[in-house]
Amino acid sequence: MANETPLLATRNVIKRFGGVAALKGVSLTVEAGSVHGLLGENGAGKSTLVKIVAGLHNPTEGEVLLDGTPLGPVDVKAMERHGVFLVTQEPAIVNPLSVAENLMLGRWPRRGPLVDVRAMRRLATEYLEGTGLDPLAPAGRLSAVDRRKLNILRALHSGGRLIILDEPTTALTMADRRVLFDFMRKLKQDGVTFMFISHYNEEILEICDAVSVLRDGLLVAGNQPVAAVSSDALSEMVLGRGLALFARHDADRAKAEAPSWNFTGIKGRGFAVDRLALAPGEIVGFAGLPGSGAGEVARAIYGLLPAQGTVTHNGATKPLPAEPAAGLAAGIAFLSEDRLKDGIVGIHSIASNISLSSLGRMATGGVVWPGRERALVADFFKRLAIKARGAEQPVGQLSGGNQQKVLLSRLLATKPRLLILNEPTRGIDVGVKEEVHRLIDGLTREGVSVIIVTSDLDEMLRTVDRMVLFAGGRIVGDHPAGTLTKDDVLRIAFSTGGPDRVPPPGSARPALLQHPPKVLAS
Amino acid sequence: MSAHTDQIATAPATMAPPRRGRTAAQRLQGVLAHVVWIWLAGLIVIFGLLNPFFFSIPNLQNVLVQATVLGLLGLAQSLVLLVAEIDLSIAAVTGISSALGALLIQRTGVPVGVGVVLGIALATGIGFINGLCVTKLRMVSLIESLGMMITLQGGLLAITRGNTITDLPDSYYWIGQATIGGWPVMPVVLLAAFLLMGFTLRRTVLGRSLYATGGNAAAAFVAGIRVPQVKIIAFTLSGFISGIAGYLLAAWQMAITSNQGDGFLLYAIAAPIIGGVSVFGGRGGTLGILGGVLLLTVIHVGLAIVYVPSFYVTMIGGVLIFIAVAVDALRVNVLGEG
Repeated sequence: MANETPLLATRNVIKRFGGVAALKGVSLTVEAGSVHGLLGENGAGKSTLVKIVAGLHNPTEGEVLLDGTPLGPVDVKAMERHGVFLVTQEPAIVNPLSVAENLMLGRWPRRGPLVDVRAMRRLATEYLEGTGLDPLAPAGRLSAVDRRKLNILRALHSGGRLIILDEPTTALTMADRRVLFDFMRKLKQDGVTFMFISHYNEEILEICDAVSVLRDGLLVAGNQPVAAVSSDALSEMVLGRGLALFARHDADRAKAEAPSWNFTGIKGRGFAVDRLALAPGEIVGFAGLPGSGAGEVARAIYGLLPAQGTVTHNGATKPLPAEPAAGLAAGIAFLSEDRLKDGIVGIHSIASNISLSSLGRMATGGVVWPGRERALVADFFKRLAIKARGAEQPVGQLSGGNQQKVLLSRLLATKPRLLILNEPTRGIDVGVKEEVHRLIDGLTREGVSVIIVTSDLDEMLRTVDRMVLFAGGRIVGDHPAGTLTKDDVLRIAFSTGGPDRVPPPGSARPALLQHPPKVLAS
Repeated sequence: MSAHTDQIATAPATMAPPRRGRTAAQRLQGVLAHVVWIWLAGLIVIFGLLNPFFFSIPNLQNVLVQATVLGLLGLAQSLVLLVAEIDLSIAAVTGISSALGALLIQRTGVPVGVGVVLGIALATGIGFINGLCVTKLRMVSLIESLGMMITLQGGLLAITRGNTITDLPDSYYWIGQATIGGWPVMPVVLLAAFLLMGFTLRRTVLGRSLYATGGNAAAAFVAGIRVPQVKIIAFTLSGFISGIAGYLLAAWQMAITSNQGDGFLLYAIAAPIIGGVSVFGGRGGTLGILGGVLLLTVIHVGLAIVYVPSFYVTMIGGVLIFIAVAVDALRVNVLGEG
């Protein structure tokens, strides 16, 4: 194998954005007909590398070779002509169109200026035989895994030889993953090459032939056969040695105290929770697939999703907040999972982003006191060690980790008693991640309760006191974090139904899910 | 610890042009941030060289008077632009609100002050309705306010029957005509409005909420800003200021025509944008708006004074505005401000 010309090779690729190097000389090889895993922390340079291979970026230095031939500057269209396709996390499918129309999107068979519908259907039917996809079905009705299949097939139909899958298993159930992997194995036998990006070691070990690991813009392992590596070895390569991972050893302290937050009868569209209690200083992790209720309940508690229910805090019982402003007034603060979409105001300064939720606190009669605002901003700037030119720098120019610190500052400035954190460490690098966890840990010592919603189970299990597992809009498990393994969580919460088949609240749940899983009892 | 690595994770797929030579770019940015004032100074010098009368006190007074109505309408539009909406009805509001007030004074004999206040109240109400339509009914402000504009223009034509309203009591005209110590009173309103607006935008919770709403409405909402209410307030205040502009226009012209105010709309949109207010919301300041207003007024007055043949005035004015906007686009796009 090794003597053959690799399908894809990058030679000493360097990519700089402004003055910052995202890739610092990466030489990657991908053998034809293999599934090649690409592993690395967020920000390690995976997406940049993949975007260079797909033609979205051109390297600052170095070159990309296909079949041993160096490619000059290219764009996406050129790479697609070469047979390289990037299938992103959010499948680009036009929902109202049929599977057949999506398959040939933009390349429909023509009859003069018109689309030849009959020919399209005939061709699609032939092409999709044995894939389990119905060419006439509206694409919007497809399940998550079928949507991913359709995207892969579309790339192949357009002449794809190298398919890059960027975290294709996100939001898939265990069963769906298996279906996807079987599908990939079949295509591999037909000579298709895959690059497979994932955060999960076990997925890499299961489906990939070889793996490359990026850390901090450098290739720390290149084209290693997976047969020769263990999961632990992968983690070590990804994280680097010597990183002291934060782990919380505080579960018992919190349990001893009476709950400071009691939620009852939370009920909204697609979710229903009878009771949820949090002790002072307790960190509770919400785990579940998208649509399982984990994110929904967290948003409902803050007033971002309409829901019935009551909240009891400090002896007073009130209805759930109707809007975020009411949530804040009740002492709850909320971190969005998508910083850019509904987190930061990117064009505005660090200062105004930090003070945004506390304007009322710093004002008299609607007039903000500049001195109070400056003091507040300066305080958090120092406390969270925000790295920036100054408080007037627009937040959009900061790195992800510093943007997250600005958002956390905004939350903490409201002096919350309950923090709801969605993906608090998403897209920030390892060092800042640990800083964030230590910060949260520190807050709990002042009695602040914390809810963390994240899809990163490894991280959740080592940073929370208690895990609340969601599926189908309901709580299906509630266990001290120390008694659970990742496999338990995956089995309970992640294999009971994907977002496409969430049973409505009130429908019968399997009896197993009402109780701790057997593994725990034994 | 590498703050730079996670910058990559958030780097958008289509990269903005790389920023190099930050200090040079910053210096250029500093210059361009005040480009409207440089542009204004340049034009004043040119017009003054072409006709020295341009530098005279009476002409300065004329510029300020002419800038008052446009200035108020520029502020009214800016409030809405700041929250990433647009209001095409503000110019039509000036017409119908002043006409209604004037007709009440003429036909029902209500005191002048009451008529003026009722006119401004109508304008405020129209702004409020615009705000409700855009937030509660989720209508697109461009089309909603277009519909409102046409309705109001038609309404003005209907209540005036195509006639021009004149012969109002002298007290109605006072503010548009009076001078104190040889200086006209109108620009005082302009000055007061800009000071008040500047204070509101920079120092009040409302002002900060306006910016946040326009900068990223979803983020502002999550951060506890009542986004719909903020937008309704922006539209309502916009209507209120347009009402004041309507009264001033009538008092200054001493007449209300059946298409009063129509010519102001596009200039009232252009002035803030030239002054750095973004049509995408969340960006711009009072000083810039004032610069934009003065720039357009100077172009308008200057072209009249240097005896450009009247057939060319509109075209040249248009080209000058075009250049001003192009320079502003350069500032925002090429230098990637924010």
